[in-house]
Amino acid sequence: MANCREAIDRLYQYIDRELSLEELDEVQRHLAMCPPCLDYFRFEENVLTFVGEKCREVSAPADLRDRVKKMCHDHGVTSSAIGTPD
Amino acid sequence: MSMRSPETAEVDVPEQRAARVIDPETRSRLEQAALEHIDALYRTALRMTRNASDAEDLVQEAYLRAFRSLHQFTEGTNLRAWLFRILTNTYINEYRRRQRRPTSSSLDDIEEFYLYDHLVQSPVQPPDERPEDVVVERLTIDNVIQAIESLPEEFRQVVLLADVEGFAYREIAEIVGIPVGTVMSRLFRARRRLQKQLYDSAVESGIIKEVAADG
Repeated sequence: MANCREAIDRLYQYIDRELSLEELDEVQRHLAMCPPCLDYFRFEENVLTFVGEKCREVSAPADLRDRVKKMCHDHGVTSSAIGTPD
Repeated sequence: MSMRSPETAEVDVPEQRAARVIDPETRSRLEQAALEHIDALYRTALRMTRNASDAEDLVQEAYLRAFRSLHQFTEGTNLRAWLFRILTNTYINEYRRRQRRPTSSSLDDIEEFYLYDHLVQSPVQPPDERPEDVVVERLTIDNVIQAIESLPEEFRQVVLLADVEGFAYREIAEIVGIPVGTVMSRLFRARRRLQKQLYDSAVESGIIKEVAADG
């Protein structure tokens, strides 16, 4: 059974779903009996989820999309993208 | 009797190599599939270059390289990771050179639980809410962007790949060209630093009042 230190050392691997099943089980069992760690894990996950969501609100500008789409068809002709503005 | 290990094959994308034949139909299908990732590539480019015009150039150049190298892409493998690797290499070649900055090794001194500890002590309304949750919800996209863009480049990169794009450690290792262990340690330090920056940004924009050290 993991203690607080061992659980917290695996915090990010836990959040990132990178733990083995055995490790995952250990961390989960610790969290089930340790409310402060559970709070902390939940907080960390919330923050990172929030950051990801905010950053994903950005989309590519339409004109960039159009330029890249055009490259699909005549990529053999275009020699360089940089230096051919609009 | 070659002594050379396969690992010496680099992650860069050679552009002009004797073309393996790729039929027009496959090419067209791959191009369409690649286009679906333009939002992800653009937002990553935007946060890396911190400049919309550079980000557009970078994405366009990355697609140009990708389309030229399509014959080297193995169908059935991870197209998204392949495109991000090209974006990363293009960024390094085209941009990092221009804005070379010393890499920061002494940045890992942020204490554990930094954001959590600071927020738990913050006075919020209504008072029965958990301050750490309330404050995070009040952060704006500008707070987040400011925090991310203030990270050193190598930290910013892994946070974007992991937390924004959801790549696995192994994929990040491949995209950046570093071992998985380095991905983990870099991500660990990057996220700690990110939290400190988020806190600073929240204080700066008046979302929270700085808490006295003794609580």
